[in-house]
Amino acid sequence: MTIEDIDIQYFVTALKNSSGYDFSEYSEKSLKRRLAKVLMDNKMELNQLVTEIKKNVSFAEKVVKEITVNTTELFRDPFIWQMLRYKVLPTLQDNKIINIWHAGCSTGQEVYSMMILLNELGMLEKARIFGTDINSDVLDIARKGIYKYRFNIGYLDNFDKVIKENPYNYEKFNDIPYSKYFEIDKVKDFMRMHPFLTEKPTYKKHDLVRDENIFFNKFDIILCRNVIIYFNYNLQNRVFNLFSNSLYQGGFLLLGMHETILGPMSASFDKKENIYIKK
Amino acid sequence: MIGGSAGSFQVVASILGSLPKNYELPIFLCLHRLKHVRTGFVEVLSLKSAIPVIEPYDKEPIKPGRAYLAPANYHMYIELGNKFALSTEAPLNHSRPSIDLSFVTAAQVYRNKLVGIILSGANKDGAYGLKKVAEYGGTTIVQDPNTCEVRTMTEAALQMGNVNHIFSIDKIASFVANLKAI
Repeated sequence: MTIEDIDIQYFVTALKNSSGYDFSEYSEKSLKRRLAKVLMDNKMELNQLVTEIKKNVSFAEKVVKEITVNTTELFRDPFIWQMLRYKVLPTLQDNKIINIWHAGCSTGQEVYSMMILLNELGMLEKARIFGTDINSDVLDIARKGIYKYRFNIGYLDNFDKVIKENPYNYEKFNDIPYSKYFEIDKVKDFMRMHPFLTEKPTYKKHDLVRDENIFFNKFDIILCRNVIIYFNYNLQNRVFNLFSNSLYQGGFLLLGMHETILGPMSASFDKKENIYIKK
Repeated sequence: MIGGSAGSFQVVASILGSLPKNYELPIFLCLHRLKHVRTGFVEVLSLKSAIPVIEPYDKEPIKPGRAYLAPANYHMYIELGNKFALSTEAPLNHSRPSIDLSFVTAAQVYRNKLVGIILSGANKDGAYGLKKVAEYGGTTIVQDPNTCEVRTMTEAALQMGNVNHIFSIDKIASFVANLKAI
């Protein structure tokens, strides 16, 4: 875990020149730590890694995949999903189409969380779901919708809180079985989302640093949870600007529990509890 | 910066309770908690504390006179420019927040102005971080293991060496309360 004394600039410049990926505005401390881990996993010194990045673009791509963070859960922070279910999504009930962008969707757990909620509200049919990530490997996992069971048992607790319980009315309990949405195989240690969910979303590779809105529409909801923590203040502002331009007026932006809009872009949104609403 | 795990909650509460209202420094708390106990911690500590207790947002500027608690399930880094940076990357030594990571990043930023304190706890997180605090010229304090509910964490920190003070709970509280901005 030697995160001190790594010449991050040397690495960032080489990566940018070789592959176009620009990490110069990432949060420095966590980038350093993850670079140290990539060096350790590949049993390389920084010099070797940079030389390899310069001569081999596919190696650079591999490093980008290893250095980005993919932590996610089904219904991570159940309280947020309860708000979505009972406060946010019902306001879109009369829309003919609902466009939702999961920016930095990683392995897709939140994409499935959203589709399950929409289905419970009878709104899945008219929703168009887009998932993007900088890492094409995690998008492949998202498309398959198969997750380890034992390691992720917390998903079921989260499901119970969001789908079975109603925090606004404790007397209402919906006994909805997991099998409505996914199959659990304890012996083979997996849970697998049903085809009506896996077939629905459109997944595309997208880099929040370089790419604009790559879809030909605006959005009613953008979820980007625990992604911008890896960006510095300036880059965060640019990404918030992208989100602001990509949302319909009155559209919703959901960030992670400890992410917030600190800079000038905060003027473009109203904030209600943990949810930003585009002005 | 204070790191603690099992048995540290009461100690942190008495430290925060002993501070003057016009305390001049920021205090960073990196405490392990149960995975599913994500709320309520701040509220309880706030009741005892003389200064506001806050779970910081990512990139929030650090201000004096506040106690910042690492949010559940995030690593809490101190960045140059006096800001926090949070991260959800994998736990380190089964810990997120990792005391080691908070200590190392704080040591790099504050150097000899940092005081690192390790309290009661049931694992070895924080020992490496405290060593780094010393290497960067900071002051290192470990709670006297005999006063700990669980000694593992303090003993690991002591084994790393470079510890300036071994203090009782009261001594830690008065030491922290008397620190001044330099």
